[in-house]
Amino acid sequence: MYRVDLHPTHVCDCGKFRLRMGKPLPFGATIVPGGVNFSVYSHAATSCKLALFNKHEPKPFCVIPFKDEFRIGNVFTMVVFDLDHENLEYGFYMDGPFDAREGHRFDKTKVLMDPYAKVIGGRDVWGKTPNWDDMYQHRARICFDDFDWENDHPLETPIEDLIIYEMHVRGFTQHSSSGVKHPGTFSGIREKIAYLKELGVNCVELMPIHEFDEFENSRTSPTTGKMLMNYWGYSNVGFFAPKAGYAATGKFGMQVDECKTLIRELHKNGIEVILDVVFNHTAEGNERGPYISYRGIDNKTYYLLTPDGYYFNFSGCGNTLNCNNPIVRNMILDCLRYWAADYHVDGFRFDLASILGRDQNGAPMHSPPLLETLAFDPILGKCKLIAEAWDAGGLYQVGCFPAWGRWAEWNGKYRDDLRKFLKGDAGMVGCMAQRLQGSPDLYQGQMRGACASVNFITAHDGFTLKDMVSFNDKHNEANGENSSDGCNDNYSWNCGHEGETDDPRINRLRIKQMKNAVAMLLTSQGTPMILSGDEMANTQFGNNNAYCQDNEISWIDWGLLGKNRELFDFFSKMIAFRRAHPVLRSRTHFQNRDYTGSGFADISWHGTQAWNADWSAQARTLAFMLCGGHAKGGTVKDNTIYVAMNMHWEMRGFELPKLHDWMSWHVSVNTDAVSPQDIWEVGKEVKLKNQSEFLVGPRSVVILVGKGKR
Amino acid sequence: MEIKTTTKDGATIIQLSGSLDGNTVNEAQEKILPFLSSDKISLVLDLKECSYISSAGLRLLLMAAKQLSTQNGILALSGLSAEIKDVMEMTGFNNFFKSFESVAAALEAFKKEA
Repeated sequence: MYRVDLHPTHVCDCGKFRLRMGKPLPFGATIVPGGVNFSVYSHAATSCKLALFNKHEPKPFCVIPFKDEFRIGNVFTMVVFDLDHENLEYGFYMDGPFDAREGHRFDKTKVLMDPYAKVIGGRDVWGKTPNWDDMYQHRARICFDDFDWENDHPLETPIEDLIIYEMHVRGFTQHSSSGVKHPGTFSGIREKIAYLKELGVNCVELMPIHEFDEFENSRTSPTTGKMLMNYWGYSNVGFFAPKAGYAATGKFGMQVDECKTLIRELHKNGIEVILDVVFNHTAEGNERGPYISYRGIDNKTYYLLTPDGYYFNFSGCGNTLNCNNPIVRNMILDCLRYWAADYHVDGFRFDLASILGRDQNGAPMHSPPLLETLAFDPILGKCKLIAEAWDAGGLYQVGCFPAWGRWAEWNGKYRDDLRKFLKGDAGMVGCMAQRLQGSPDLYQGQMRGACASVNFITAHDGFTLKDMVSFNDKHNEANGENSSDGCNDNYSWNCGHEGETDDPRINRLRIKQMKNAVAMLLTSQGTPMILSGDEMANTQFGNNNAYCQDNEISWIDWGLLGKNRELFDFFSKMIAFRRAHPVLRSRTHFQNRDYTGSGFADISWHGTQAWNADWSAQARTLAFMLCGGHAKGGTVKDNTIYVAMNMHWEMRGFELPKLHDWMSWHVSVNTDAVSPQDIWEVGKEVKLKNQSEFLVGPRSVVILVGKGKR
Repeated sequence: MEIKTTTKDGATIIQLSGSLDGNTVNEAQEKILPFLSSDKISLVLDLKECSYISSAGLRLLLMAAKQLSTQNGILALSGLSAEIKDVMEMTGFNNFFKSFESVAAALEAFKKEA
């Protein structure tokens, strides 16, 4: 059947292209029979022109004004026929008032990128110096959105069963030691899928992959002489387009297909994909920043502005996206729906998510409409939503982020308390009891469950695990900011020497502390997250804020894998241990009672004396027992697990709780022992000769499994 | 783009020379489409002289493969350059094709399948 609304009705002034009025929705550029439908919103623009470029060409080959009759409400829309849309780049010229006090900054001479651009050219190959004379730096392109997913579907793994692995697309394989064919790209990650499976993680969290400009604020390091770049990419140019420079095929404009292929192949291997998304600000900076898109299309809509028309800076990056403006709110929703539906992404981690809960004056809201919308959206219904529950404007919402039972949080308190306990701080036992249970002190009041807590000890922001046990202080000199950047509260301990050392006792202790950390992380309730490279003791040489280091400081050195095989083996076996024991992965918080008639409470606390944990201010020891009869609320069978943590510098004897007569204790982990006696494979645990006491070495963690048949 | 069609051993061989991209894909599609409408066609797309295949070009190849498979036909690609193979691998298109070094190797494979 033929449609009657697909024929041209107008011709552009130059006579080259036929036109007709377009459809206002969806926004952006959409391939339609015979042409492309363009649609862009602006509340305050008085007129708009479409600029058409051949790929990489500095000047447009045609500029077509949107005719008055092509505007519906505040949307300019038209179909242009007969375009070679594969070789096309497009932008908009917007005219309107320039009145900064009123929030308007129109400049009709600027070519503006479509806020809904699904492919963005201009930085096609990572690090290739752009033509700075080009008036159109970040260039919208048309997207083929007909990828063949081969029946792929988001995996919908329950969040409490995830083991998240946070990685930087480029940093993961860019180092020459990675051995992949296409270093630093989506394809490079794909080549490492077998490695990820060997490690055992079932979810990768990709640091920002939306198009950004690695040259933003690029400069030379005063200490190393190396080029400093916007390496992490927490500064979006566009929200709908994957970073071209992360695709080996970016030079051919095929980054969409390469990114989707990676996701499809990860899914085939049981690995979910969570995207780190940055909706708190854009790369346009403050009033001195460049015109890329939003500022010139509708400044007052897209940004939070002071009464004088300056930019609020709750992000610490110059501007703040006006997230609870209805237009911007819809854009964010459209964007997330697009990544969920078109890229099969399994979830999102929201950078500085507290900004998403600020009103149009910047004040925190009680029930932010954007967060509520995302919590209840049907298309995002099975996506994980994880908040970094703070912002740079001083809002800290860990434990009280507006959640509607849907949002999980990066639990910063988990990180800090665990680090303090690990380095032997006194007075941490009570806090640790909360953190190990999925922080009921933070999340139980709102009935959010243990899985509201994403537990982590290290993340991209801060020390790596190796650096956490090797440095007392940050060493950010190479960032060129006189070490004023990066966090000062690292709660780290160098084990007796600042930085690298040949001292075997210190190095042994560091390995043990790393094992202690991951043993605690993976026996905690909640969703664990590991920083990529920690499993091989990757170092950033003490830099705890490597946002600008596109070099060996940030890139994972795969040569460390051979050197630190012992640590990798410990990580992979510990991950297997968690995955084998549902009692470690409760969705809800414990009830501290026996509600299944198993003879033991779901969780019980112990110390050097069984059933009598030492909660005193000087205590550095703690043990807990998880009753297998309560795994997943008593719906599945599991062994009973006992974890003893001695963070004192001297050995301590732990009296073991007596099991039922038909069960006995088996040792699974003892971080004080040398590999391979430090951890046993699931099912091969060694039965203890002494069932009543275990000597736990100094600064060590022991995990026992209670099992046996009645 | 130059497009030549021949037949050999009951198979149709279409040789595409030059760049298969947004400029040439419509022309190639017009030449290939008639062969996709019959049942049980054995088709070799000889890409030995093909210097580049763009996103649109890859989509044409995939469309041809899907169309033929619904009609019990077979599509084989031959003579792909290492770079094109690599791009197809990275963008996930290689999953859908049988690829051979030469037309002769493709025809040999057809015989075995028959």
